[in-house]
Amino acid sequence: MTLATFKHVKISAIETVVPEKEICIYDEVEYYGGSVKKIDRMRKMVGFYKRHVADNETTPADLAYDAAKNLISDINLDKNSIDALIFVVQQPDVINPSTAYFIHDKLGLSDDCIATDINQGCAGWVFGLYMASQMIESGTHKKILLLNGDTPSVGIDPSNRNAAPIFGDGGTATLLEYSENEIVSQFAIDTKSYGFEAIVSPFSGTRFRCDISKDEDFEFLAKTRNEKIMNPEGKEVPLLGGYMNGLAVFDFTIKVVPETIKKLLEYSKLTREQIPYLCLHQANKQIIQAVGSGAEFDLEKVPYQAFENYGNNTMCSIPTTIGLLPKDAPKKNLLCCGFGNGLISAAAILNLENTFISDIKNFRKPEYVVSREQYVNTWRDKISGKISLSGGGGNRQDERTILLGSYGFVGPSQNNNYTQK
Amino acid sequence: MNKADFLVELEDILQREEPCKEGDNLNDYEEWDSLSKMSVMAYYDKNFGVKVSLKDLQTVTTVEDLISLTGGKISD
Repeated sequence: MTLATFKHVKISAIETVVPEKEICIYDEVEYYGGSVKKIDRMRKMVGFYKRHVADNETTPADLAYDAAKNLISDINLDKNSIDALIFVVQQPDVINPSTAYFIHDKLGLSDDCIATDINQGCAGWVFGLYMASQMIESGTHKKILLLNGDTPSVGIDPSNRNAAPIFGDGGTATLLEYSENEIVSQFAIDTKSYGFEAIVSPFSGTRFRCDISKDEDFEFLAKTRNEKIMNPEGKEVPLLGGYMNGLAVFDFTIKVVPETIKKLLEYSKLTREQIPYLCLHQANKQIIQAVGSGAEFDLEKVPYQAFENYGNNTMCSIPTTIGLLPKDAPKKNLLCCGFGNGLISAAAILNLENTFISDIKNFRKPEYVVSREQYVNTWRDKISGKISLSGGGGNRQDERTILLGSYGFVGPSQNNNYTQK
Repeated sequence: MNKADFLVELEDILQREEPCKEGDNLNDYEEWDSLSKMSVMAYYDKNFGVKVSLKDLQTVTTVEDLISLTGGKISD
């Protein structure tokens, strides 16, 4: 277990956005054989109720970008003072470069602000705070914009009742700053890599090289794309989809996660009475309550309303939970714990007493988000040199023209707004 | 906890509308799904301090087997 204490990191602001589209499980009675009783059972046991889902064009980066814009305007932040942008994401816009560069450009951040992605799942907010806190505590960075985004609901077959009612989508922005005054935050991270196959996308990277421009690979995909496998629960699941062994993950969650929380409490020398809330990753109500009881917390202190109203929006679920806490609720020594793919259990005790915490806002789709057809057409024209490359956010148009102009990419950026046809 | 109390609790854990009996085969219950198994795992941990694993639950067929998983913590 990794244990760490930081004394000069202030979390100044937290913003969360969710897609506007809301699905309520009671509107999906056709998937439960018309039985409202079955839905009632699911609601009582797991907390299934509502979730907010993105459309097929919206990416995790779009959600995170919108949250970042809200944060910058809500606290009137000077963009040029940000010296690091960290984007925690498991479904990047492109495999390379880091999607953080795209967001950096769109926000118009300075050349003095570094940018990178970090690949983490449900523990991603706490993990990102840990990395950013290290960078601030070392003295190298003074102001870090930590972004998280995920769209786990997109692409799930609505008839897949194991997955569809669980997931919602979201984006968050968190600002961390150096503080002269002492502000203590403490972390405990337990890395259980033996469980890396328990939640995994086995066919998403270079372990499964498949190039559909090659006949052999195309034929292979044509044969396997609809293949279904019967799992031990007797349910058919697609071979090429993401894989999760729900029971094994539950096993890990109720055995490991409460221990991480207990270890952090012991390390911090705080008592449960000094912790106003235990904000857990919103996996589902059943899991939240099992972890809360396992960590010996009064369940009154363990909120699950974020799951009921927004679904499990993976790494955004703790900021969503924090955004739903009463405005006047005590926020010193908030114990947060994210857990999931890795497998990892990451807990932190945070002081959010003087943090600007926004309400949960509806995502406003940025103008650059286009359909797949438009996206492909734009790239056809970029590759052929008919239109300029995107980029040049902020006040950097001149520099962009000098740099890219000599390669024929002249003129102002089109910013993916493809309106010529 | 005695068996009669546990059977009432089990009905609630599985969110079942009919009573559970000691000799019942769990696989005959429509409600014996992964959610119920997770609920059993959490309930055993909280109430008996017994950490039941996924493997344990896969070997269980009857309500009686489920009772024996508590290692004697449910009396007659």
